[in-house]
Amino acid sequence: MNLRISDYFERGKKVKVIVNETIVEAHEGECLSVVLFISNHKNLRLSPKKRENRGMFCLMGSCQECAVLLNGKKVTSCNIFIKAGMTVKTGDLNES
Amino acid sequence: MNLKKEYDVIVIGAGPSGVSAAIKCSEKSLKVLIIDSNENSGGQIYRAPPKSYVKKKEKSLKENLIQIKFSEDLKKNNIDTAYNHTVWQVSPGYKIDAFSDKGTIQWKTKNLIVATGTYEKIIPFEGWTTPGVIGLAACTVMLKSHQTLPGEKIVLAGNGPLLILVAYYVLKFGGKIEAIIDTSKKSQWLKSIFSLILSPQNFIQGITWMLKIIFSRIPIYSNSIVAKVTNEKNGISVEIKNIENKKSKKISTEVLAVGHGLTPSTDITRLLRVDHVYNELKGGWIAKIDKYFRSSAKGLYITGDGSGISGAVAAHDKGKLAAYAILFDENIIDEKEFKKETVQVLRKLNRYEIFAKGIANLNSTPKELINNIDENTILCRCEDITKKEIIHAIKKGAKNLNQIKSWTRFGMGPCQGRTCQYSVARVAADELNCEVEELGYLTGRSPIRPFPLDKAIGDFDYDEITKVEAAPL
Repeated sequence: MNLRISDYFERGKKVKVIVNETIVEAHEGECLSVVLFISNHKNLRLSPKKRENRGMFCLMGSCQECAVLLNGKKVTSCNIFIKAGMTVKTGDLNES
Repeated sequence: MNLKKEYDVIVIGAGPSGVSAAIKCSEKSLKVLIIDSNENSGGQIYRAPPKSYVKKKEKSLKENLIQIKFSEDLKKNNIDTAYNHTVWQVSPGYKIDAFSDKGTIQWKTKNLIVATGTYEKIIPFEGWTTPGVIGLAACTVMLKSHQTLPGEKIVLAGNGPLLILVAYYVLKFGGKIEAIIDTSKKSQWLKSIFSLILSPQNFIQGITWMLKIIFSRIPIYSNSIVAKVTNEKNGISVEIKNIENKKSKKISTEVLAVGHGLTPSTDITRLLRVDHVYNELKGGWIAKIDKYFRSSAKGLYITGDGSGISGAVAAHDKGKLAAYAILFDENIIDEKEFKKETVQVLRKLNRYEIFAKGIANLNSTPKELINNIDENTILCRCEDITKKEIIHAIKKGAKNLNQIKSWTRFGMGPCQGRTCQYSVARVAADELNCEVEELGYLTGRSPIRPFPLDKAIGDFDYDEITKVEAAPL
């Protein structure tokens, strides 16, 4: 099932990004949180004390749960737009 | 765009209310800046798709057309826009500090309009932190703005108008809903349609949505709540419980979108130490305002849903009234013009308010949701604080939200209590056997959004650094 709705908008060109050393295909300019969510990368970071998996939650820059490492820097993925060659790491974000 | 350092009016938030206020002020030749953290106007309700999406000619979405009109109107009125700018501090005077990819910036203004809208209220349950559980509002943004279905199998839960809106869009976009779990009783469904449209003209649309949901034969569990979510192979398992007969049932799904209404954003008004009042039916704590949306501080106006939930249509008119208040307070229009221009808008708004009051119970949070929270359930997601820890702090003597915060660290994480303040207050009020408003609210502290140090430093070359002569030995 194609989760991307293509009735109303044309998306950017297809590009590849690297997520935890695997290749994920996406369209240039798509939201990183959304791409990770629909490509089976729902676990984004670990909670501070219990070390439980956390993932995208509010998708509007309020909750800060969607943090990932983008090219080595901690960012909230909901306001990042896909560019070719991005390297994303999820899981334990404090481990270098 | 070359932005000035100082403006006659600065509007924070480019949703329906902020845009209408900005335009009205600009029409009277005031120099206006509108700031938003998103990359375009529209707010969350009319949020534009990412910039890389190109609209197809043959088909368009109503929300998208409204957003395009917002952008055109802002441009036509020569209003400066600072998109992709996150406000992290506002100080009296008014000084607004923001950051973007390019570094930090500060603007000054005599007149500040706060039109920052709302956040979604999500009452915790066991497993609500499991990835795959998202907000109903998040689901709306994913569908309407990002044009993406969240998964192949979706369960929707909660109460309030978003439940129906999301269900409609999932179906419209060809998605599959496993179940709708509605906190309210079946008889309240029609009321909830009203709350969504807030104007009789749109009633037909409401009915169309309802019929689409009914004809899709999705199982609807009324008077029910999500009791628990657990991980299972290829997804999650959602345990639902009927409030009355306590019967439970498990449903397998990929995604659960859940939400229990909206709560006004008070980040900036709490930071500015203005007076606030508690109004459960309007979403919780809101800055105290007069009928023209003036706050208790001179030059500070609060508008849109951030001044109490009443929806996007009303937000547009609220923005207009705030703008007229500024024009009058700045002696740009006289009392006669002020009265003449506002009387119709006020009348229209009053009609919305009467209507909104009738359905406001759908936005309030029933006790069953609070009672369902297990003592080991996390309330504060940022700091991993459970209900048990909150109750422990109270037993040891914490008597209000700020004391509970000092005791437990709840509300001290990156979200600054936006996600958990409401639930912690409800749990604490039950434990202390008092009203939620007696517990106060979290004192506003900057930065109101995580502020990356590299953004503070900005981008520069080594040569640009002012080198100081070494001190003589």
